[in-house]
Amino acid sequence: MVSLMTSRLPPVLGEWIDRTQPRAFCFEGKHYSGYEGDVISSALWAAGEHVLGRSFKYHRPRGILSLANHDVNTLMEDRFHVNLRADVTALREGMEVTAVNTYGSGGVQGDRARFVDKLSGLLPVGFYYKAFHRPRRFAQQWEQFFRYMTGLGRPKFDLPRIITGKRYDFVDVVVIGAGPSGLAAGIEAASCGASVIIVDENTRAGGSLGYARGGSDASYDRLQQLLAQAAHLPNLQIRGGTFAAGWYTDHWIALVDDQRMTKLRARATIVASGAFEQPAVFRNNDLPGVMFASAAQRLIYRYSVKPMTQAVVLTANREGYDAAADLHRHGIGVSVIVDLRDQGENAIPESLRDVRVLKGSCVLEATARGNHLGGVRVAAFANGAPNFDHSESFACDGLLVSCGAAPAANLLYQAGCKMRYACEVEQFIPDVLTPGLFAAGRVNGRHDLEDRLLDGKRAGREAARYLGLSQAEPLSGTLSWRNPTHPYPVVPHPSGKNFVDFDEDLQLKDFHNAAKEGFDNIELLKRYSTVGMGPSQGKHSNMNAVRILARIRNEPIDQVGTTTARPMYHPVPLSHLAGRGFHPMRQTPLHTRHQRAAAVWMQAGNWWRPEYYAVGRKSKLECVRAEAHAVRTSVGLIDVGTLGKMDLYGPDAGEFLERVYTGRFANLKIGMTRYCAMIDESGVIIDDGVVGRLGEQHFYFTTTTTGSANVYRELVRWNVQWGLDIGIVNVTGAMGAVNLAGPKSREVLAQLTQLDLSAQAFPYLGLRQANVEGVPCRLIRVGFVGELGYEIHAPAEQIGVVWDALMRAGAAHGIQSFGVEAQRLLRLEKGHVIIGQDTDGLTTPIEAGMGWAVKMDKNFFVGQRSLRIVEKRASKQVAMGFTLPKTFSGEAPKECHLVIHAGNIAGRVTSIAYSEALGQHVGLGFIVPDLAAEGTAFQIRGEGGVMIDAQIAKPPFYDPAGDRQKL
Amino acid sequence: MAQRLSPLQELVAPLNPVQHTVHGMQVATALGQNAHTHTVLLADASCLPRMGVKGAKAEAWLAGQGVSAPPAVNSWLRTPDGTLVARLARSEFFIEALADAGTVARLRSQLQPASGVTPVLRQDAALVLSGTRVHELLTQTCNINFSAYAIDAHTVVMTSMVGVTVLVVWEPINGAPRYRLWCDHTFAPYLWETLMEIARELGGGATGLQQLLSEALDQGK
Repeated sequence: MVSLMTSRLPPVLGEWIDRTQPRAFCFEGKHYSGYEGDVISSALWAAGEHVLGRSFKYHRPRGILSLANHDVNTLMEDRFHVNLRADVTALREGMEVTAVNTYGSGGVQGDRARFVDKLSGLLPVGFYYKAFHRPRRFAQQWEQFFRYMTGLGRPKFDLPRIITGKRYDFVDVVVIGAGPSGLAAGIEAASCGASVIIVDENTRAGGSLGYARGGSDASYDRLQQLLAQAAHLPNLQIRGGTFAAGWYTDHWIALVDDQRMTKLRARATIVASGAFEQPAVFRNNDLPGVMFASAAQRLIYRYSVKPMTQAVVLTANREGYDAAADLHRHGIGVSVIVDLRDQGENAIPESLRDVRVLKGSCVLEATARGNHLGGVRVAAFANGAPNFDHSESFACDGLLVSCGAAPAANLLYQAGCKMRYACEVEQFIPDVLTPGLFAAGRVNGRHDLEDRLLDGKRAGREAARYLGLSQAEPLSGTLSWRNPTHPYPVVPHPSGKNFVDFDEDLQLKDFHNAAKEGFDNIELLKRYSTVGMGPSQGKHSNMNAVRILARIRNEPIDQVGTTTARPMYHPVPLSHLAGRGFHPMRQTPLHTRHQRAAAVWMQAGNWWRPEYYAVGRKSKLECVRAEAHAVRTSVGLIDVGTLGKMDLYGPDAGEFLERVYTGRFANLKIGMTRYCAMIDESGVIIDDGVVGRLGEQHFYFTTTTTGSANVYRELVRWNVQWGLDIGIVNVTGAMGAVNLAGPKSREVLAQLTQLDLSAQAFPYLGLRQANVEGVPCRLIRVGFVGELGYEIHAPAEQIGVVWDALMRAGAAHGIQSFGVEAQRLLRLEKGHVIIGQDTDGLTTPIEAGMGWAVKMDKNFFVGQRSLRIVEKRASKQVAMGFTLPKTFSGEAPKECHLVIHAGNIAGRVTSIAYSEALGQHVGLGFIVPDLAAEGTAFQIRGEGGVMIDAQIAKPPFYDPAGDRQKL
Repeated sequence: MAQRLSPLQELVAPLNPVQHTVHGMQVATALGQNAHTHTVLLADASCLPRMGVKGAKAEAWLAGQGVSAPPAVNSWLRTPDGTLVARLARSEFFIEALADAGTVARLRSQLQPASGVTPVLRQDAALVLSGTRVHELLTQTCNINFSAYAIDAHTVVMTSMVGVTVLVVWEPINGAPRYRLWCDHTFAPYLWETLMEIARELGGGATGLQQLLSEALDQGK
């Protein structure tokens, strides 16, 4: 029985832990202690806890595999975080973590779902697909079962929002990876004068220099020299705990750290991201105690933790022998070195001279003692075939696996580099790099330390030369192609459980079966078997999957290819992606006045608008009706500053309007306005408003609230083509606007202006410029709500003065500020359409009954040609007005409810409201032409399928002659 | 002239401002709080009168009014009376007064639309940003690398900041960074609140115009 902290080694040179700062924490309800600088996994391993998680599908016990975030054996959660990767999550005082994906009270040790492992024979590859496919009647049950059994971690809905604001950064050269090649590259580029940022997902720089020591501290000393060099370069930054999540066009790199995502714009990128150590595939290769050689070395040199007490080393390269030397140096026994290669290793470290080496051999299987590795069975191995007839067993509590690496080339793929499979090093390496992109080190196929350093320096200089910062000659020198990777470290076993993908519990046989079923293309195989689709995204499984498929298809690996490497390199928390969440919203200059008047807000496009003004305990409906009543009987004031507003100047201004609007404007009299509708080139209505003429060469016009930016952009675009002599100014934000409406509006306004407001001097649809309360304004006699009314436009800085003065002047008449809801009701009574509500993305003016606004006899306007075609066709639907019977008392239809006739859809409602002025519901919509005649009865299918009687009625419903607005 | 109202007035009001009327607009010249902070400072400078003119003959028109324009697109200069003249495009100009609004007032009164000369109503909100950590604020809000521009180049940057279109120039104050920033009137509250949120996280906050743009107050206070 291992007691707490017994696996901690005496102080190790360069260790990351701070032994003066113990950290108490809790795992699965048990209390432990580690040190500042530990990760969760290292602290638990030091405490003798080796079962740190359960596998996804079979719930097999799992321990440390890579200790590098290249697998997810050790997924945990705490109160505030889901799916913590314990291998790289810093230990904090008071942490309370549990393993994910366990069932029952037994936790990770006694996971009740471990029985699934016994049923693995019933769970063939593609099981999910097959379960849903046949028989279909069980699909629902399967779905419920899968939802219960699968998934990692539990979402937490009661967490406080943590702001993780993004930031931008800029640099000449970004280096991905702070290992030997990355450091060398960054130092060289910075020495040439480039600003350089080196990022590394590890909290400290150095990569393998820090832990792959081969029994001495020479590489560590080398690291210190490099770091000292880097420290003397003020233009070089090293950012630890930061990974490059994605590469995007023009060297836009998404960097992710604990706190945020940084959008880094570099001028050149050096990828020195190293390689992922790869597992060997043999039976029970997932038992706790089986780990990558690099994982054991990290435990020793970063966290001073003994990975095991008695080890077997399975290797196919020099690195395995170096790892064995590191074990030996720290008092860990090495029973045997099993070398997959026939010829073994030439230069065996002196300290291992007494260790037995079995060349041309493999581990047939690992055997368990409880939930942990207890020993291995070794046999001869040749060309992917073990000799089952003769094997030898070794007791051990740790098995180091060092059979090769796969390049961490994700960013190179994302950058569009052409890769090729280099048989010299049994890995993909960049063949053609894109401009400004450089690769160095293991990802470039260079595995000897001196080669990696030189390759890094070469890449750094090339990047500086690319940026014009160095005239120095490119570095020359011959680099070796030492190969650390076995071409096929895969050992078949009749009893299976030889895992290729640890995330998804995929065994070797699954690949053979998938291929037999026809999924023998790498992309199909991925999707069918789910290899590489787990949280570690294939870092430890994709390359072996490719090798296996190549064997199955008897093709070279180049022909099998790889799957697509997409961002993100590691999963990125949604909070990081969301960032601070910028949602630019516009406020009219009168916003705070509405706020003080108890406005209830609504969003209209990117504007805040008062929907209505709350009054005491009155309901929304009561408030809206009271606002509408004030407009109909006395006077109301609404903020219409959200309307798009444009000034148009120039000798060709009239001609320009003729072209962009369907109506006629060249003949518009100075001081008058006219309704305008805009259609696109396909004839669909996209905007409307009012055009007014302020001078011979000066027009002022409005657009819809949500349309101003698009309309302005379209207008500018059109005139780039037409070259008319005009100047357009979008004054939407620079001008505020209010609509003073109601029979008393003239009396109210007259108190504030010298302008003659009489109907003769300022008629309906007139446009004037005058001071209102000393503010220079543009006044338009409009009738959108169907009453005498004045739209008053003034500079944004001064519209507040106008509003305040109008409210004061109207007080004697009970002036009422009114919101969007009341305005919608009032305009509906008048039958005025709202573009985008009463029209949609296919509605032409012909369908909308707006033919009166279209002057087809003009020489040209945008969309005219399409309308000529449309008008020759029979309309499938036409705009309609309708009413419900005055006796109607049920739940009224809503917008988008359908008109049903003879069992078919015959139209839909676009607007509907109860009109107090008329004593009945009125609405607008579309209907088939056969039912459009005034007085025709039809039915609307309302809420819950209730059929409601309605009747076609011709708008305007209120004041049909328009007398009230023309007063 | 009727009173002018800053779009930021209501947001600055709770900060215990010392207010003065500058060019017809009440503006906070000092604040009762945050006066001691130097990390990130924001001030409302919307009170400075401004105008715009564009069109093929706009530059000639300005020259006719005795106002020289910066020769390069996206650059700015100050006239002897402190008026800022920024060239936003080949034929578009942005003009803002400082303490002396005489030039802007004269140009406004003379500006009549004509072929090739288009008046542009400018009701922008104007901010001043400064402080030792102002660059950190900018890197969290804008994807422009301001340090890549030479200060003496007098560059005008038109870009997006927290999703809002802004015009930025930088004019150091006693060797310290100082940025002038303009945005559409209606986006001003959102921009101010967002920048303030980040500024507070960085240990900064709002201040009065006196601290960041005292030259605007010499005559106008």
